[in-house]
Parts: sequence; C-alpha cells; structure tokens
Amino acid sequence: MARKKENKEKLYLSDKPPLTLFGKIGIFLTYVVLFAWVYAIVWPLFQMFVSAFNGKQQQYIMANSNFEFSIRHFQYLFTETLYLTWVKNTLIIAGTTALLTLIVVSFTGYAYSRYRFKGRNASLMAIMLIQTIPTFAGITAYFTMHSIVSSIIPQFSRQMMLILIYTGGAIASNTFILKGYIDSVSTELDDAAKIDGCSNFNVYRLIIMPIARPMLTIIALWSFIGPFMDYLLAKVLLTSPKSYTLAAGLYTLVTDFRTMNQPAFAAGGLLTAIPIVILFIALQKQLVSGLTSGSVKG
Amino acid sequence: MKVELKNIGKKYEGREDFTLKNINLEIDDQDFCVILGPSGCGKTTLLRMIAGLNSITEGDLLFDGRRVNTVPPKDRDIAMVFQSYALYPHMTVYDNMAFSLTMRKEQKKIIDERVRAAAQLLQIEDYLYAKPADISGGQRQRVALGRAIVRNPKVFLMDEPLSNLDAKLREHMRVELVRIHKQLGTTSIYVTHDQTEAMTMATKIVLLDKGKIQQVGKPDEFYNKPNNIFVAKFIGSPTMNIIEGVFKGGKFISNNETIVLTPSIEDGKTLAKYEGKRVSIGIRPERFESGGEFGDTFTATIEVVEMLGKEKILHAKLSDGSDLVISTPGHYEYNEGEVHKFGFDINAIHFFDTETTMRIN
Repeated sequence: MARKKENKEKLYLSDKPPLTLFGKIGIFLTYVVLFAWVYAIVWPLFQMFVSAFNGKQQQYIMANSNFEFSIRHFQYLFTETLYLTWVKNTLIIAGTTALLTLIVVSFTGYAYSRYRFKGRNASLMAIMLIQTIPTFAGITAYFTMHSIVSSIIPQFSRQMMLILIYTGGAIASNTFILKGYIDSVSTELDDAAKIDGCSNFNVYRLIIMPIARPMLTIIALWSFIGPFMDYLLAKVLLTSPKSYTLAAGLYTLVTDFRTMNQPAFAAGGLLTAIPIVILFIALQKQLVSGLTSGSVKG
Repeated sequence: MKVELKNIGKKYEGREDFTLKNINLEIDDQDFCVILGPSGCGKTTLLRMIAGLNSITEGDLLFDGRRVNTVPPKDRDIAMVFQSYALYPHMTVYDNMAFSLTMRKEQKKIIDERVRAAAQLLQIEDYLYAKPADISGGQRQRVALGRAIVRNPKVFLMDEPLSNLDAKLREHMRVELVRIHKQLGTTSIYVTHDQTEAMTMATKIVLLDKGKIQQVGKPDEFYNKPNNIFVAKFIGSPTMNIIEGVFKGGKFISNNETIVLTPSIEDGKTLAKYEGKRVSIGIRPERFESGGEFGDTFTATIEVVEMLGKEKILHAKLSDGSDLVISTPGHYEYNEGEVHKFGFDINAIHFFDTETTMRIN
C-alpha cells in the first residue's frame, strides 16, 4: 500500500526517472508559457467570433459585455459589399495557383531528384538563394511585365499576373520539398518500373506520384492557402474592387472610412476559414505517412 | 536466349578510369550464369548494362545475335529481381505482379491466369491482396520473383536477391531458384558476392575483380583448377592456404624453409621450367593429411579449434609464425595448444607463379 501511494505522488514524464523538485518547477513554468501562448492566439479569435454574431456592435467594434445574437453583419456582407465576388476571385486564383504549382513542381521535383544534368546543383542553389528576396521587391518588374504581356495579349488580366506570381513563388520553394521527398524513394523502384514497361513519364505517374501523394497534398494545400493570406500583392496589383481577392476586399472594411464596418470584417474573416477547413478535411485521408514502407528490404 | 558480351567496357561520367573493360562473355540459352565478385568489382554494373538500366560505353551486347546496346529495357524481353525487391508499395501483391502485363495491355483474363500460376509456383496465393508492407521479408522476396516470372521473360536477371534473407531461408530459396530456373527454361544471370550461392546454383560462374574477368567456368573447375591466386582464395570456405616460397632442385621450399614438398611426378614436369623461381603453393584446408606417416610432413601448433560438427577447423601456426587453416573430420581428437604433424595430399596441390599469380600446373 505504502509503495503504491509513494508511486502516486511521484511525477513521471514518459519512461524517465521521476521528476525532481526542479523538474516539477520546470514543468509548471512550461505550462504557464504554453497557456499564455494559447490565450494570445485564442482570445482574438474568440473576440472575432463573438463580434461577428453580436447585433449590438456598430461600425466600430467596442469591447463591452453587450451581446445580442444576430446575423445582420453577415447580411451586410452579402448585400452591401462585393463579398461573393471576392470569394469567387480568391477561389479561382487559389485553385489555379494550386493546380499549376502541383503540375510544375511534380516535374521539377522529379527531375531534380532523378536526373543528373549540367547546372543541376547550380540551379538548385540559385532557386534557394532567390527565395531570400521578398516577392514584393519585384513589384515594379511585375507591373512592367504585365503591361508588356497585356499589350500583346489583351486578355491577360491583373489576376492572371497574380496567379503567375503566386505560382512562381510556390514552385521555387516546393521543388525543394518534393525533391527531398522523392530522394527518399529508392531508385530501384524506377528501374523496376522501366523494366516492367514504363516510360519516364509513366514511372512518375504510376509509381512515384502515388508514393509522393502525402507531400503533393501538402504542397497543394499550402499553395491554395497562400492567396487567402496574401494582402499586399493583391492590393497593389488589383485595381478595381471587383477584381479583389478576399484579403484585399475585406481590408477595405477596416481601413477605408467610407466603407468602414468592423463587425462585418470579423464575419467575413470567419467565413473565409470555411473553404480552407473543408479542403483540409477532404484531404486528410491523403495525408498518411509511411507510404514507402514495404517497398524495399526485408 | 543466348547473351553475348563482346569487348564491353563501362566508364561512368566524371570518372577517370573504366569501371569495366574488355568483358567478353558468352552465356548460352538456359544457362544459369552467376556473376561473382567482391563488392565494388563492377558486377552489378555489368548486370545493369545487360538490363539496359546503364548505358554501355564501348563494345557490343548481343541477344541471340541481335545488337541491343540502345534498346530500352522494356523492349529487351527481360525481367529483373532487385536486391531490395523494389516492390511498388502502393499496390497489392496481385497488382505488383500484374503490373508489367498491364503495361503491355495484355488481356485481363490472361493476366489473371499468369499471376495465379506464378503465385501457385511460389506459394504466395494466400496474400495476393496484401500490401508489400504487410508481409514478411521472405514473402516480399517471393513476390519480387513472382513479378519477374509473370513476364515470362527470355532472360532472367537477379541482383543479389537473397542477401536480405536469413541464413535458413536463403538456403531454401537457393534450391527453389534453381528449380524455378529449370521449370521456366530461361537464361538466368545472377549477381552475388557469396561464393556458396555461386557454387551451388551456377552452371557457369564468371568471377570478376577490379573490372576484369578472372575466370569463367563450371563450379568444379573453379574449386579444383583456379586460374590464379585471387580465384583460389575467393572460392571455398575456409579459404585456401597460400604458401610462398621457391622451387629448387625439384622441390618446393617455403620462405622460411618450414615446409619442403616434393610435387607429384606430373606436376614436377610442368614445374621444371620454374627451377629457382618464386612459386606459391595453394592447398585447401581439407586436403591436408593427418594422423599418419606421409612423404613430406610439417609440424604445427594448434591455436584455435572451431568445432562445426561434421568437421573441425584447426587454426595452426608453423614454427616461423605463419598461419595455416586445416580442416579435419569432426571425430578426430585435436586440442588447442597441441603440436601435430601433418602431411599433404600431393595430388591436390595448386602451384602458382608468385610474380604473375597465375596457375602453373
């Protein structure tokens, strides 16, 4: 009995010796930090959530305890602003970005992983280094490029330019990630597939791509979320409110004093999360690890 | 199918030297040819060149007289079993085996028949619908074999397929592979560094070292008539004893004169022209004579005795400090620290020229 009690009083962390007094203080401090952190993240979100549904809130969000459930801020969003247009714009831009990124990164990642060619290491380094320059630094170049291209092809819109910029950035960073992942797949699989009758393209399509699926899913997800998050490029590049993305559009609700409506901004932000959450849930099944296990060795 | 290699050489890009050079080889139809060699000798490169996975720098590769140097692997009518098995992890065992036929747009019914026949042959019918990750190493190995068999290839290539199995299973699969080879009636080319596998399975052994063919022949030729000291030491376990010395006055005298040996009359004739030159003798551990009086004898102190059951391996030291390995029947009484006299089976001595390491007799 006595021993059992003693055991209960001791604090264990996984399979290590019981914690000493210092260890316990350390654990306590760790939890204090963690809780503070959680509070810092959750509190603003909670405020946003409450304000979005609070009918008592007017143009400016006031921190007070008056609460009345209402969806009038959402109504405002749908009737008085171009919210749905922005959603549509963002979905198109994000979807196209994700798709283009996936296609291009598939090729570049596979090529960098499997083929030896002149300038392979140099170009990889170049891609890596260019990453350090913020995308926004090229804004003047983007304007020039857009005006040159659109003078030849009038259909080339600012939104398309935006898609290209997002895709370009995503390709560079994700090529690295996918290359690293494919590197971990045994090249004997490629050899086996080639003997079994696959062309180079089929080796990727039928063997490597299914194995790299979790990584491809993450790449797709990231590049899809990117346009939802980016405000700066969209705001500068897109000129008319009709062509705005969500981030740029919603921003007008808190900066421009003519259209100011902070609770509607909160409501819009809340709704923005929905497509991303849906996508996450839909893709969750793809995000399984350990797909390469069992291919090689005993 | 007959596979011929004519003057084949391989130089990897960025390397100074040729990995393989002047490889001339003829592998007849239905041969079980084992390419043997220490690691890094180029044996896998050679196999991959036959498979078409590596390019051929120089020379000709002929399948039934047709030059296939530039034919892509899928059109060579070959199948290959990889060291790591290389099963497609996202497909079931069935799909793995059916893959090559599916790629060839074979009829579903024929694919099914072939896969099931191969599965029956290899006794893997019970887990046709399992994923590679869910089956054991030995079973994966069988699936890899099955994937190759289903193709019904003209040439069957294997790259150390047994090296990831445990000893018992390896022994079993050796026999099974030979059985399958006979049943399919194909030409098999098998790469390994394990001389036991080569000796037990091959109809023809090719021993490579440093990018060159050291000897080609049947297993018993390798054991009883090794071409040079390298071959002599590579084949056989425990390793053949090599003693350096000179040939003087019709006798072999070892460097420290601890061993003096009169060759057989036949060997004596061939050795006549080596009078006064440096010569090495090789003798297999089991060809020492013990427990009696024989022509030439020597004394040795037994340092370590390895008891294997049917035989005892004696690690003995001569008076000059050089080591010998002697194998005797297991029931003979030998203990560590004892001094014994041993003789030679005079007909089993291999003579080598020490300078060139080539065989003399």
